[in-house]
Amino acid sequence: MSLTPAPLLEMRGISKSYGGVKALTDVDFVARRGEIHAVLGENGAGKSTLIKIAAGVVTPDTGTLAVDGAPRAFASPQEATGAGIVCMFQELSLLPDLSVADNIFITSPPRTRLGLIDRRAQRRRAEELLARVGCEDIDPATRIRDLPLSRRQMVEIAKAVGRDPALLILDEATSALTAADVEKVYTILHKLRADGLALLYISHRMHEIEALADTLSVFRNGRRVDTFAKGAHSDDAIVQMMIGREFANVYPAKPKRAAPPPPVLQADRLTFSPGLNGVSLTVGKGEIVGIGGLDGQGQRELLLALFGVLAGVGGTVKIDGTARRIGSPADAKRPEIGMALIPEDRKTEGLMLPMSVAENITAASLGAVTKGVVIDRAGEADNVGRMVKEMQIKVGDLAAPVATLSGGNQQKVVIAKWLLTKPKIILLNDPTRGIDVGTKEEIYALLRRLADEGAAVVLYTTDYAELIGCCDRVLVMYEGRVTAELTGEAITETNIVSAALNLAAETAA
Amino acid sequence: MTSSATAARKPRFTVDLPIVIGVVFIALILAVGTLYTLKTQGTATFLSPNYLVLQLHSGAFLGITAAGMMMVILLGHIDLSVPWTMTSGAMIATAIGGTTGDLAGLGLGLAVGLVNGFGVAFLRVPSMIFTLGMNTVLLGLMVMLTGGHAPQSAATDMMTFLGAERTLGVPHSVVLWVLVSAALVFVLTRTALGRYMYAIGNQEAAAYLSGVKTRLVIMAAFLMCSLCAVIAGMSLAGYSARAFQAMGDQYLLPSIAAVVLGGTTILGGQGRYSGTVIGVILIVLLQSVLNVMQMEEAYRQIIYGVVIIAMLLIYGRQRTAHR
Repeated sequence: MSLTPAPLLEMRGISKSYGGVKALTDVDFVARRGEIHAVLGENGAGKSTLIKIAAGVVTPDTGTLAVDGAPRAFASPQEATGAGIVCMFQELSLLPDLSVADNIFITSPPRTRLGLIDRRAQRRRAEELLARVGCEDIDPATRIRDLPLSRRQMVEIAKAVGRDPALLILDEATSALTAADVEKVYTILHKLRADGLALLYISHRMHEIEALADTLSVFRNGRRVDTFAKGAHSDDAIVQMMIGREFANVYPAKPKRAAPPPPVLQADRLTFSPGLNGVSLTVGKGEIVGIGGLDGQGQRELLLALFGVLAGVGGTVKIDGTARRIGSPADAKRPEIGMALIPEDRKTEGLMLPMSVAENITAASLGAVTKGVVIDRAGEADNVGRMVKEMQIKVGDLAAPVATLSGGNQQKVVIAKWLLTKPKIILLNDPTRGIDVGTKEEIYALLRRLADEGAAVVLYTTDYAELIGCCDRVLVMYEGRVTAELTGEAITETNIVSAALNLAAETAA
Repeated sequence: MTSSATAARKPRFTVDLPIVIGVVFIALILAVGTLYTLKTQGTATFLSPNYLVLQLHSGAFLGITAAGMMMVILLGHIDLSVPWTMTSGAMIATAIGGTTGDLAGLGLGLAVGLVNGFGVAFLRVPSMIFTLGMNTVLLGLMVMLTGGHAPQSAATDMMTFLGAERTLGVPHSVVLWVLVSAALVFVLTRTALGRYMYAIGNQEAAAYLSGVKTRLVIMAAFLMCSLCAVIAGMSLAGYSARAFQAMGDQYLLPSIAAVVLGGTTILGGQGRYSGTVIGVILIVLLQSVLNVMQMEEAYRQIIYGVVIIAMLLIYGRQRTAHR
């Protein structure tokens, strides 16, 4: 042992800002061969930017990058791939209408002497790669479209391995996997580590990091807080490092109620095919009602049906005791109904990403600041300023595209947009998905405050902890019906889970 | 709150790249043309006010057409029925004649816009297909109207007034273009309709879920486009003193090119009206310089195409460099 070999990837003094918001500040980062390195941090902590810089997608403002000790500056992802840095991004990058084999070799298919694609060799090598990642059962000729999401993710891994990486970056690689597949991924990653690869692993799931990582780096606010070996700190200490303060009292206190509040939203036997088989619910003034259950039991359809998005919904809806027909979001927004929906996917349903922060905030409430046909710009700017302050949206330039904000701040923009319409009924579809802990807390506090001010809140979430912590009542859905209603002390994880699995009905039958 | 107020308005006053590139190209075209005339005729024809006013006079028809085209391109749609909307508007107006004819021409634009908008917004047919079909239907209708014999095709008084005449040396067509432009800039920058058009062009689902009546906005955009087309067609007939078959055909590609050269994204959502004006002036001058240089038609077409592609290339490179 004369010299320690230069690390595979070494980044020094990296900084990067988007539209005045610092994504990374003076970050040093090192990844070594034969090591699984987990990168932790809240959303907006700078993890994605770090990876994008390593993968050549984004060029840093300042700082240097070296591969095996040699300084490099990647102008494109191709150059990074050439240097052995391969990245699997969060969003699946497969083309749905091509076959598995075509997708795996999309950038460098094996060729015949004539330069045509050698389909037989491609198929054979695809089979090899799939076998290497433990998915012999996938036929390389299948179209991606016909594979379930978890299998697609495995194909994505095969594709990345097929590029012969020295450094493999996995960004939320397991978010769509089933438990059995997660095991397979662990095996593959351990095998790759034994082969001498460096692996960067980004995940929000603490237990995965426990199972996989050798080294952990924690990021916060664009800085690397610490790097340490697994086991050096407890989970609690790590979480505290991520959020920078004690993690306690996440949920605001629930009010005590003597009598049920007056109903604001009453839905009676809503039906929609597929998804809703007669759902009834009542939400009172000042109440937060949670919708729970396994994924895909009609919860999304329920919110969309209430908001007038779905055509052909059966049943009746009463607002403040009056029957109303809500045929579109524009109807739902009308003052006599006063409904708002925070949609599931903020990037495609909540925001116009290239448009400015200000324009997004006022997108649902322009009518209120329009005099005749002209938008009152001063009034609009007042609203924007008020919302940015009230929601504590971290924004450098209000005229910058909303796409430059971090995920949590983007979600705040979506909520701000709807608060400007002064809604009486607020529907939320998994509003904290992919959002950092700090912003989550702010959203919980906001929901409670809105309820205390008299709003009726319907919260669909896949996180049981949120149902328990936030909601006055929880309705659990199963196969398009409400199968259980839990109130007060009865809102426990055990009760929710057993209702979600419809255990009561199973044992009764 | 003043800081946020200015911040929200800021982008409206910045100069963006396509516009700078457009202006540079315009200067380049004029320089090349002037060098040519200086060498061959010893005069700087292209820099004389008379010549430039003449160019604007005939360029205004393209300007009005492109203005309308921009409204649908901003939504990420396209209107390929523009050529025969122009032609039919002019032919109907001249065939009926008088003020009734003028109103009939405008009415036709209104009807075409409503049908296009309905097809795209409510029937959800891709605009490229629907408007292409509409163009063919209008062509057929006009052939039916004219039968074997030509109907009355002389321009009405209003059309001559708008298309051919001048006041104090200012062509009325240019005034008309300015008025149409002012109206559209007002819609785009000051009204909720304009904001919604950008919103739909960027992310239709998000706009819909924000409670925007997206179908009505799409209808409105197609309506504006068709109205611009018949106004351009009718004043063009005034300029040529008569309406004739296929008179709008040579306006389709230039009107789309002008919008895109001006920096409006063909996928919708981004673009400023001033860019479209620059695009129109650029195309008009380019065509005219090539004319004066008495280049053969074949070469003229090639150069015309190459310049448009070259400009888009420069523009495209700049945009990727931005990221």
